Amino acid sequence: MKKSVLLSLVSVAVLGILLSGCGKKASSSGSESKTLNVWAMGDEAKVMPTMAKAFTKETGIKVKVQALPWSNAHDKLLTAVASKGGPDVVQLGTTWMPEFQKAGALEDMSAYTDKYNNLKSENFLPGAVRTTKYDGKFYGTPWVSETRVLFYRTDTLKSVGYDQAPQTWNELKDAAKKLSARGKDKYGITIDMKEQSLGFMFARQNGSKLITNDFKDPQFNKAPFTEAVSYLSEFIQKGYAPKADLGMDVSQTFTGDDPIVPMFISGPWMITAVKDTAKGIDGKWAVAELPKGSKNNISSLGGSDLTIWKYGKNKNNAAKFIDFMSTKKNQLKFMKLSNDLPALKSAWKDDSLAKDPYLSVVGKQIKTAMPMPETPKFEELAQSYLKHFESIAVGNADVKTEMNTFNDEAKTTLQSN
Amino acid sequence: MTKFFNKRAPYLFVSPAILLLLMFSIIPILIAFVISFTDMSLNGLADFSLIKFVGVANYVKVFQDPIFVKALGNTVFYVIIGVPLVIVCSLGLALLINFGQNKVFSFFRLVFYSPSITNVVAVAVVWAYLYNPQFGLFNYLLKLIGLQPVPWLQDPIVAKISLILLALWRAIGVNMIIFLAALQGIPKAYYEAAELDGANARQRLFHITIPMLKFATFFVSVTTLIGWIQFFEEPFVMTQGGPLDSTTSLALFIYRNGFQLSKFGYAAAGSFVLFVIIILVTLLQFRIQRKQEETEL
Amino acid sequence: MKEKTVGQKWIVGVILAILGLIFILPLVWMILSSFKTESELFTIPPTVFPKHFTWDNFNKLFTSFNFAQYLKNTLIIVLFSFFGMFLNAMAAYGFAKFKFKGKNFLFFIVLATMMIPGQVTMIPVYLIMNSLGLTNTMAGIILPGLVGAFGIFLFRQFISTISTEILEAARLDGASEWFIFWHIVIPICKPILAVQGILTFIAGWNSFLWPLIMANDDKYYTLSVGLSLLKGQYASNYALQMAGSTFMVVPIIIIFMMFQKYILQGFNVSGMK
Repeated sequence: MKKSVLLSLVSVAVLGILLSGCGKKASSSGSESKTLNVWAMGDEAKVMPTMAKAFTKETGIKVKVQALPWSNAHDKLLTAVASKGGPDVVQLGTTWMPEFQKAGALEDMSAYTDKYNNLKSENFLPGAVRTTKYDGKFYGTPWVSETRVLFYRTDTLKSVGYDQAPQTWNELKDAAKKLSARGKDKYGITIDMKEQSLGFMFARQNGSKLITNDFKDPQFNKAPFTEAVSYLSEFIQKGYAPKADLGMDVSQTFTGDDPIVPMFISGPWMITAVKDTAKGIDGKWAVAELPKGSKNNISSLGGSDLTIWKYGKNKNNAAKFIDFMSTKKNQLKFMKLSNDLPALKSAWKDDSLAKDPYLSVVGKQIKTAMPMPETPKFEELAQSYLKHFESIAVGNADVKTEMNTFNDEAKTTLQSN
Repeated sequence: MTKFFNKRAPYLFVSPAILLLLMFSIIPILIAFVISFTDMSLNGLADFSLIKFVGVANYVKVFQDPIFVKALGNTVFYVIIGVPLVIVCSLGLALLINFGQNKVFSFFRLVFYSPSITNVVAVAVVWAYLYNPQFGLFNYLLKLIGLQPVPWLQDPIVAKISLILLALWRAIGVNMIIFLAALQGIPKAYYEAAELDGANARQRLFHITIPMLKFATFFVSVTTLIGWIQFFEEPFVMTQGGPLDSTTSLALFIYRNGFQLSKFGYAAAGSFVLFVIIILVTLLQFRIQRKQEETEL
Repeated sequence: MKEKTVGQKWIVGVILAILGLIFILPLVWMILSSFKTESELFTIPPTVFPKHFTWDNFNKLFTSFNFAQYLKNTLIIVLFSFFGMFLNAMAAYGFAKFKFKGKNFLFFIVLATMMIPGQVTMIPVYLIMNSLGLTNTMAGIILPGLVGAFGIFLFRQFISTISTEILEAARLDGASEWFIFWHIVIPICKPILAVQGILTFIAGWNSFLWPLIMANDDKYYTLSVGLSLLKGQYASNYALQMAGSTFMVVPIIIIFMMFQKYILQGFNVSGMK
C-alpha cells in the first residue's frame, strides 16, 4: 500500500519540480530592465522588428517586440490592466483609445512633446489627433491611419450615364438605381449591414452632430440622423443593394464586363485586394472621394495610435521610440514594409502617396476624415444601431419609431457609468 | 496500516485533479460570482477601489433585457431539437461503422470525425456557400427538382434550424468515437447467447446494445446538453445572432454584452444565470439516471 | 454476428460513403484551398481543385514566424497534457470505484467547472497566476488546462462499467490500489484512453488562449498563436490561414490514425454492474 502513496506523491512532486523549473528559467531571463517592451498587433507586428532594429542602432536602446493577434489583443490588454503590468509601448486601435484612456491605462504624453518635436500634434492628420486627445491632453501619437472612399467601375458607371463617380447623395442613389436595373442579381452598391461606422458617417454628412460634446445626449432621433438612415435603408429596400451578404468577395462581385456590384465603400486595404485578386479589370476601376451629403462628405477615420503604457517602467525611452517612429522618413519606411498608410501630414506629400492615382484620392479624403465619437460606449451604441438599422432595412420597421427607441437606449447607455 | 491506506486511497486518487481544479477553476468561479454583484468594468479593473457593490442589480437588469429573454427562448429551441438529434445520430453512426471491421470502415471513422478538426473559418466559408440564398448549392439543388428556394439564414426559424444542422454536423464526430469505444466493452458472449435464443437483430439492439451503452449515453447526453446550453460558435461565426437576434444564444448574448463591452459585472451575472440553468438540468439528469437504476434493480 | 452478409455490408458501406462525403468535404476544401491563390478562394461556386496550383502560401507561412520555437512550446504543452490525462484517469478511478465521504458532492463540483463560460474566469485565473508569480512562465501556461471535468467524467463513466469483482479479487490477492489502477483499470480502459488521447492531443496541439495571455514574450508562443498573427486589422489573408490550418491538421490526422485502432481493442472482461 505504501507504494501507491509514494507513487502518487512522487508524481505530483515531479510535476511540481518540472513546472517550477520551467518557471525559474523564464523569470530570470525576462527581467532586463533596460529593454524597451513594445506590443504591436497582427500585421504591423511582423515588420515592427525591422523598425526596432534601426532604433537600437541609432540610440543603443534594446527593443523587444511582442506580436499580439488582433482577435485576442483586447483580452491580453485587459489582463495587463488587471495586473498593473504590461509593456512600455502599446499599439492601440483608434477605437480602443477611449476605453483604455478612461481606465487610466495610458500615460499623458503632453509632458514629452516639448522634448520630442516629432510628437507635436500639429504634425498629424487632424482626424487622427482627435483619437488621442482627451480633456486637452494627449494620450497617444497617431501612427497609421485609414479612411473610407468610394470604389467604382468606370466602364459600368459610364454605361448608365456617369462619366465620373457620383458627386452627391442624389447622384449616388440614382446611379445605384440605374445599375440595379441592369437585370436580376445585379446591384448598384453594397451597403454592409455589419459595418458599424457606415450609418454614423452618412449621418455626419447630413449635418448630424451624433452626440453632444459632453457625450451625454445622443442626437439619433433628430432629422439629420433619421434622414440618413432612411436614405441608406432605401438602397436595401428597393433592391439597389443586396439584402443579404452575397458571400462573395471582390474577385467575383467587382469583375467581368457586367459586374454584380460595381460600387462599394471601403478602406485603402481594398486597393491592394482589388489589384491582387480582381483580375482583368485594369484601367476599368477607380476610387473617388465620397459623394457629398447635404452638408459635407466627411469620411470615417481609423487606424492605430502608439501609446505609452501607464504601468511601464521606461517611459522616457518609450517616448523616444515613438518620436523615432513619427519622423517622415520612418513613417514612409513603415508604409513600404507594411502597406499601412501614415498618420503624419508631411508624409502624405511624398510622391509615393501624392502621385499615386488611388492613394492620392485617399489622401484628399483623409484630410477631413473624422473618427467615430471618442467615447468608450461607442461599441455598444454601434451594436445597437446595427440592430435597429436591420429592423428598418430588412424588417421594414418605421424609421421614426426605431430611431426614437435607439435614441432612448443610447441615452441610458451614455448616462450610465 | 493497510486499512488506513485503503481508506485514504480514494482521496489520494482524486486529490491532484481536485487541487488543480480548485486553484484554476473553482476559486476563479467563486471570484466571478462575487464580481456578478458589482459594477466592475475596465475602470474597476484598473483601480479596484472604484468597484461598487450593486447587490442583485445586474441580475434584475439581465431579466429585463428583451434580448436576453429572446436569447433564452432561442437557446431552449436549440437544446430541445439539437440534443436528441446529436445523441441519436452519433449513436446511429457508431452502430453503422461498427458494422464492419475492415480498413474501409476504419477510414470512415476519420471521415466522420473530420468536422471536429476542420478550421472553423473553412467550415464557415463552405457552409456559407451551401446556405447562400442566391448562389448556394442547397437552393440550386432545390431548383433542379422544381422547389422554391429556402431562406436558409434569413428567416428567423429556418436560420435556427440551419445552425442546428451545422452544429449537429460538427458534434457527431466526438460522440461517435465515444460510442464506438463503449461498444467494445460489450462482451461478445451476450450476443452469442441471444443468437442461440433466437433473438433477431432488432431485439439484440434494444435489449443488449442500448442498455449496455447506458454509461456512455449518460455521458454523451450530459455533456451535449451542457455544450448546447452554451451554444456559441455557430451563430457567432455564421449569423452574429441575426436576423434580428433570432439566432442569438445566451452565450452569444453574454459574450457580446459582457466581454466585448468590458461590462464584467453584467457578463458574470448573465453567466451565473446560465450556470444555474445548466446545474438544474444536469441535476435532473442525474436524478433520472438514479431512478432508472433503481427500477432496473 | 456471422449472419452479416456481404450484401448488408455493401448497403451500409454505400450509406456511409454518401454521408461521409458531406462530412469530409470542408476538410478537403480547406486542404486544397491552401494551394490556391487568394482570389480563387471566394469564387462561387467554390472550386475544389486549385486552378493555379501554388506553394506560395506555405512558403509565406514558414518564413513569417519563428516556427521551431513555437513547435517546441506546442510539443511541451502536448506532453504535459498527456500527463494531465492520467491525473484525470486517476481522479475518475477514485470517483468510480470507491465510496467516500462527500463523493457525490465533490464530483458535482468537478462537473460544475464545465458549466460556466471560460471568459468569466479568465481574469480571475490570470490574477491568481500573477500572485503566484507564474505569469510569463511555462508553468503558468500549462497548469490551468492540465485537468478537466470532461476527461474525468468520461473516464469515470467507463471505469464504472468495470466489474467490481475483478478489483475485489485483486485486492484479496494483496495487490495495492496503485497496482490495481495501473495494471487492471488502465488496460481495460484502452479504448477510452485512445479516445481521450486523441482529444488531449488536439487540445494541447491547438492551445491558444493561455499561451497568449500568459506570455510576455514571443518565446512562449505556440503554433496556433503564431498562425493567428497572420491576420490584419481589416484584411485577413484567408489562403494563408487555410495553409496554416492544413499544416496544423496533418499531425492530428496521423495521431487519429495511430490511436483509433486501440478504440477497438478493449479487454472484454467487463460485465453488468
